[in-house]
Amino acid sequence: MTFSSPTLAPHAAPLAPESLHPALWRAHQVARPHEVVLPSGHADLDTQLPGGGWPARVLTELLLPHAGVGELRLLAPALAALQQRQRAVMWFDPPAVPCAWALGALGLDARQLVVVRSRGAARGRARERLPAADVLWALEQALKSGYLGAALAWLPARLPADALRRLQLAAQAHDGPVFLLRDAQERTRPSAAPLRLLLASAGPDQLRVTLLKRRGPPLAQPLTLALAPVLAAPALVRALAPREPAAPPRVGAAV
Amino acid sequence: MLWLALHLPLLSLEAFCATLPPETRQRPVALIGQHRVAAVNTAAAACGVRPGMKRATALALAADMLVADSQVARDAAALQAVAHAALAFTPAVTLHDAQTVLLEVQASLRLFGGLGALRQRLADALVPLGHQMQVAAAPTALGAALLALWHPAEHGDLVLGAHAQRLPALQRLLSQAPVGLLGPAREQGEALQGMGLHTLSDLRRLPRAGLARRFGAGLLDELDRAFGGQPDPRRWIELPAVFESRIELFARAETSEQVLAGAAVLLARLVAWARARQARVGAFTLSMLHEPRHRQTTAAATELRVELAVPALDAAHLQLLLRERLGRCQLAAPTLELQLRCRHLVAGAAPSGELFPTRASEAEGLVRLLERLRARLGDEQVQRLVPVADHRPERASRSVPAQGSVPTTAVAAAAAAALATSVLPHHRPAWLLPEPLPLAERRALPLLEGRPLQLVSGPERIEAGWWDGTPAVRDYFIAQAEDGSLVWVWRGRLPAAAGDVNWFLQGRFA
Repeated sequence: MTFSSPTLAPHAAPLAPESLHPALWRAHQVARPHEVVLPSGHADLDTQLPGGGWPARVLTELLLPHAGVGELRLLAPALAALQQRQRAVMWFDPPAVPCAWALGALGLDARQLVVVRSRGAARGRARERLPAADVLWALEQALKSGYLGAALAWLPARLPADALRRLQLAAQAHDGPVFLLRDAQERTRPSAAPLRLLLASAGPDQLRVTLLKRRGPPLAQPLTLALAPVLAAPALVRALAPREPAAPPRVGAAV
Repeated sequence: MLWLALHLPLLSLEAFCATLPPETRQRPVALIGQHRVAAVNTAAAACGVRPGMKRATALALAADMLVADSQVARDAAALQAVAHAALAFTPAVTLHDAQTVLLEVQASLRLFGGLGALRQRLADALVPLGHQMQVAAAPTALGAALLALWHPAEHGDLVLGAHAQRLPALQRLLSQAPVGLLGPAREQGEALQGMGLHTLSDLRRLPRAGLARRFGAGLLDELDRAFGGQPDPRRWIELPAVFESRIELFARAETSEQVLAGAAVLLARLVAWARARQARVGAFTLSMLHEPRHRQTTAAATELRVELAVPALDAAHLQLLLRERLGRCQLAAPTLELQLRCRHLVAGAAPSGELFPTRASEAEGLVRLLERLRARLGDEQVQRLVPVADHRPERASRSVPAQGSVPTTAVAAAAAAALATSVLPHHRPAWLLPEPLPLAERRALPLLEGRPLQLVSGPERIEAGWWDGTPAVRDYFIAQAEDGSLVWVWRGRLPAAAGDVNWFLQGRFA
């Protein structure tokens, strides 16, 4: 028999860092944030997100090639759950006019939604000051107030790096998710947001989500999520069919 | 009867200092009345300037001193604000002289939890007005006023003590007071001095008939009222129905910060007035009178109207809103005078104390946030959407300014029910372009960014609006773009003229 004390055994189970502190995890593990997360409503996505949902008190960056790839259908279940709990949802500088009926179909109550626009965008003239100074100010005030359930902000490209860091600091007072929707070209630039997702359309009513950054190991394969369908079954068949120069509908013909 | 007297020894100086820009308030300041220095601040006193000096002497001692005339109207406005603040604690408030306010508080003691607590609440309410005070309490009105004016240093605050409730104790205390406290005795101070009369007890020992013959009945009358020997009826002040207060700035205010510093005291007066009316401020107007340009006889004025979504009674919040509003407006010329008016009051509900933050306090905080955003960005930038039952997509939603409260659940439920029973089809795109975007056409198919769109669903004919002059006669299609995203396009039902585009992009499914 050899003399070995149990604490010095070389083949003892390795120390689990995640049992020491919730902020620690190994590089091959996915972090478990101690904050309450907000389930995204898409089971495939939830399994890949640290904690199993959209994180609170930090920025979440969504990078899109253009508006309208399915980003609202991705976020709608979480936002609707917040509105059910009487939490306010604010949108900052959306890229187009939201349609109240479409939001209603997604389960959102448009009346409880507050839309904030920057003044330069509304007047349609060249911005004189810092780009989106208004919307950054408004977003920071809203996050700092702590009275918000969730914030969605469409930020312009080429923001100064300290603007994002400022938002990240302000988000710590905000008990809920903050989504920054930015152009896909920003994926090569560093960002303070701990969660970054690249969204792209993967066909009709399908969304391809690439996790660019998360608290955990990088995910090699993009996820493909099924979105709430817009198309009826026959139209979906037509959309999935290979493209052929279809006969154009005749002008004035009612179907 | 229990009277509280608030004596403001430095009222005229403080009223003047409120008109100064904040950075000059530390400089030596002297007020001149009747060609003599009437009041000095501590910086001037440190230079050796004393009340009673001539103007030239004072300026020789402190060359950089600000010298201004004391104005009765300015002092009266400041004293009135103090009286308004006092009205929140008792309806029985009266102005004793130009520097003293009297309150009869016997009936308020139980509500506010005793004299000490009431005194503390009163002092807290008066802090925003920024006055130094000498406070005394006594069973007679004049007795309280004399004690506050006398304010023997060794007695400290003269509110609590046996004299506050019991007349004999007050009489004992007043007996030691100097004769000069009484108004009629001040004019005949030398004669009284010559007769060896120093304290009020000396006066009271003299035969009354002789005293009245020598010094007039007024002195005797005042002595009796102070000692409780005679009734002392007072007329209570009444609150004006509309708040209006003005302040003339000492220096021209060129930046909004300087305007705000001047407006701070006006806002404090406004809050004191609204508190006395037990109401909240719904809206107020700040008018700024500008310096007249040359060859212009009348000064231009800028009016700023600040409306609150939810009436508030918090001077800091009002100031915040005013600051954002001021930041948005351009001033035509430097401001000389500020005027604050308020006629929109809302009766306030009793506040409910909350131990933990709840949904209600969160909703209130959200309202304040929205107010702040609206004050800075403007009403048209902070909006809510309201669905409208119209088939034309450009009219199916309406933006309304995000007024205070989030709609209640009942309203939201009604909207959801309306949505569920609506006849509108639900496959509407979430993003609608503000203006339909004309699309080029190749082989009768629309092109988006140079690539042909694939029409996958439709047409859905929308033919509406002939009744209001903006008819829409369109066939809508859901189309698939090259990358698989779905867009909503339409084609005019009637063939377009040659060379005109007939396909338009209306929205994107997000």
